[in-house]
Amino acid sequence: MSVQTVVRLPEKYRPVVDHELCLRCKKCVRACSYEVLEFKDDRIRPKPGCVACLRCVYECPAQCITVKEMEPQFAHHAVFDPVLRRSIIAQSNSGGVLLSSCGANVEYMDIFSHLLLDAAQVTNPSIDPLREPVETRTYLGRRPGKVTVTDDGRIDLQSSSTPLVVMDMPIMIGHISLGSISYNAQAALFQAASELNIVAGTGEGGLHADFYKHSKNLCAEVASGRFGVTSHYLKEVSSVEIKIGQGAKPGHGGHLPGEKVQELVSQTRMIPLGTDALSPYPHHDIYSIEDLQQLISVLKESTEYQVPVGVKIAAVHNVGAIASGIVRAGADFITVDGLRGGTGSAPRVIRDHAGMPIEIAISAVDQRLQEEGLRDKVTLCASGSIRSAADMIKCIALGADVVGVCTAAMIAMGCTVCQQCHRGMCTWGIATQRQDLVDRLQTPVAAQRVVNLFRAWNEELKEMLGAMGIDSVESLVGNRDRLRYIGPNPRIAEILGVKHSGEGWG
Amino acid sequence: MLQGNDGPVPASWMASDFDAYPQQGRSYVVDIPHRHKYRMGSCGIAGCINTDGSMISGSKIEKMITTMGERENGLGAGFVCYGLFPDYADEYCLQVLYESDQSRAGLEEYLSDRAYIIKDEKVKTVAVPTMKPPFPLVWRYFIRPKTNTESFWRKGLDEEDYMVHMVMQINQADNGAFCVSSGKNMAVFKGSGYAKEIAQFYDIGRYKGNMWLSHSRFPTNSPGWWAGSHPISILDWSICHNGEITSYGVNKKLVEMAGYKCSLLTDSEVITYLWDLLVRRHGLPIPAASFAMAPWYYKDIDRLDEQLRQLALQLRITYKEAFLNGPFSILVGRSEPNVTMIALADRKKLRPLVMGVSEDGNSVFAASEECAIKAVQKDAETWAPKAGNPVIVRLGEGIVRRGTEAPFQGVRL
Repeated sequence: MSVQTVVRLPEKYRPVVDHELCLRCKKCVRACSYEVLEFKDDRIRPKPGCVACLRCVYECPAQCITVKEMEPQFAHHAVFDPVLRRSIIAQSNSGGVLLSSCGANVEYMDIFSHLLLDAAQVTNPSIDPLREPVETRTYLGRRPGKVTVTDDGRIDLQSSSTPLVVMDMPIMIGHISLGSISYNAQAALFQAASELNIVAGTGEGGLHADFYKHSKNLCAEVASGRFGVTSHYLKEVSSVEIKIGQGAKPGHGGHLPGEKVQELVSQTRMIPLGTDALSPYPHHDIYSIEDLQQLISVLKESTEYQVPVGVKIAAVHNVGAIASGIVRAGADFITVDGLRGGTGSAPRVIRDHAGMPIEIAISAVDQRLQEEGLRDKVTLCASGSIRSAADMIKCIALGADVVGVCTAAMIAMGCTVCQQCHRGMCTWGIATQRQDLVDRLQTPVAAQRVVNLFRAWNEELKEMLGAMGIDSVESLVGNRDRLRYIGPNPRIAEILGVKHSGEGWG
Repeated sequence: MLQGNDGPVPASWMASDFDAYPQQGRSYVVDIPHRHKYRMGSCGIAGCINTDGSMISGSKIEKMITTMGERENGLGAGFVCYGLFPDYADEYCLQVLYESDQSRAGLEEYLSDRAYIIKDEKVKTVAVPTMKPPFPLVWRYFIRPKTNTESFWRKGLDEEDYMVHMVMQINQADNGAFCVSSGKNMAVFKGSGYAKEIAQFYDIGRYKGNMWLSHSRFPTNSPGWWAGSHPISILDWSICHNGEITSYGVNKKLVEMAGYKCSLLTDSEVITYLWDLLVRRHGLPIPAASFAMAPWYYKDIDRLDEQLRQLALQLRITYKEAFLNGPFSILVGRSEPNVTMIALADRKKLRPLVMGVSEDGNSVFAASEECAIKAVQKDAETWAPKAGNPVIVRLGEGIVRRGTEAPFQGVRL
């Protein structure tokens, strides 16, 4: 005989309707895919389950809805805070692993906020990017380390040439698969990448036939599930990335709940309808660095050495040494994804507790590759909660050539970071495959908003470079001299190789 | 060419006296100032070369650099002379600043393990009342590395890289000794003081060479430090730099990866190592190396013919860590294979650089300001090289590039 174990959790959010202003149009009822609002007795009334996605607020023509964050109902306790108690109750309800989405939702040290940038005064002139060129063009791929000069003094262009991808700004839209997000959302991201002339990741779900037109701005992901990976696909894109791990869930593979595997996803991924697409945790042909080297070679062979092949790893404690092995294994670029990186679905325990912040990770990789004399051979890409141009600039100064951005692009399209992606009911039409919800996202609008966002970031990058007296972004890469630490723990500054605020040049 | 003999060490320079200088506050001579990583500055630079190989007296360069007195504040100046030791042209000439005779003994032991000391002598220095003591003891060695020893082949380096390694080791160690120049047929004379004072201190007028470069500095944030003055030199390379490298952290990464150790506390140091790395070790032609350090904008590169565009892109992308960002004008000297002067300004030309040539075309001048050229050669025809465009003047060849040509003129593909 089964026992009823489920205990109701106190509500976290509640939509509050101003009935004076309400037009009773019921738009909000239709807007809420979580079925929190109902129309009863001539009034809009809330039910439990609000996630604060804010779609009803956005839709309401009378602007009469506000979403209220409820006071914690629990008795105060300094150790068992309400979040912990909610988790314990939820797990006792289900006996399962708690899933969540988006990046780590704990206040792990945000080191970006403890770093300050430099600016030029007197001894070198700052540069006004509106009057003089400040360059942000960035190349992705392997570099030869030196230009070959023959014995008779000629420069041999052939022998030091490597495949490179050109980007107009040092921003890459990270890998978000079709499946985790909708067709319209992915179309918008790819369109934005084409328009900005940057690179967008395909995610591990393969590439929908309609999106091949953007392929010159796409980086194909080869993840452990190998979903949708064909030689045709690999040859079409501008770069290929082997995904070993992701910052939100190091050591795990992709999780795509069966609810999201509709017709479209099933075809693109080449998997049956409605099945959970759970990628293996490791690649089952990569149990060691030698195996990775083989896969890199295989991918280079199958793309005829025409595109750079990179490797993405989650930021884990030994990330520097791992990255150096990856360069030696032949990777042309490395993506390091930090602890706070986003996800469409991850066990909360790993999302919140494994890995390390991107600030430390990218710095460690940059320093390690430099120590081993490898830093001038590869492109380093850093991702995992790059939330603003300031984060991007600091991340570059800590050693990244390129930053990967996902969540900010999602927010540009409408995402409110309500962290329900894994449920597939995204009211904004982004992290869902339900056609009625997908239709809410207008691709051209979403694309333009992403374009606007990154153009603004790039302008801010130029402004900051100019203020530092630097007229091209490559001269900021790993330039820790232009950073100072102002946080609570000077040991972090030491590890980052950054001086404390107040310490001058000499 | 040395004029006259240095003679025996005067009594005033004997160890006991030398060590007896009172320490007035924190005045750094040879030891690295503590807690200081590097310093930046803005300065005056001047150079002259006689392309027919005839000799130029040190007084001429002294006149050039001191004419630009506005550009210095007494915290450092220096000179480098090429074609100075025709009698020892095949030996590496080490000029070393010593804290004391004790440090000299230590270094000489180190040197004699690794090299044959063909000749050594005290560099004549003159007490200058206006300068702030203590003063270093300056010694000169003509050496030939011992290439038949186990310690040589264990390093796996060729002779020149072995020399670089030795200089790095000397300058890294806390030994009261700093090697300020290490090339063949050239020597650096520098210190903390006004250009006039440094010229007096070394009695610069007693030296003659085919080419001189000089520097006077107006640093900010810096202690007076003898070894950190310009020219900064390694092997036969020497650099006089006016400017501030905003990409220092990036450039430092590249030279450190290549085995150079930054110990001179100045951003100008990386420029010296970059020239050595790109031209001597990687074999790049000078215009290509200059392009790597002061590259064109991408929008301009994109307008080049396909093959040159590929060359420009490959240089810019491969050597992006060699890109010297921020304002600079530099004079670069080299004696191998022929005495050569290179003058280069940053790609925005945020620091001044003027060239001049005498009517007979034999004497070529470079300076921050035209007045420095006119002060020594009234009839000089002067011109301004373009931003990021190198001027190359070579003994026996004359003006190879005026700094107004297409970027890769003279580069063969």
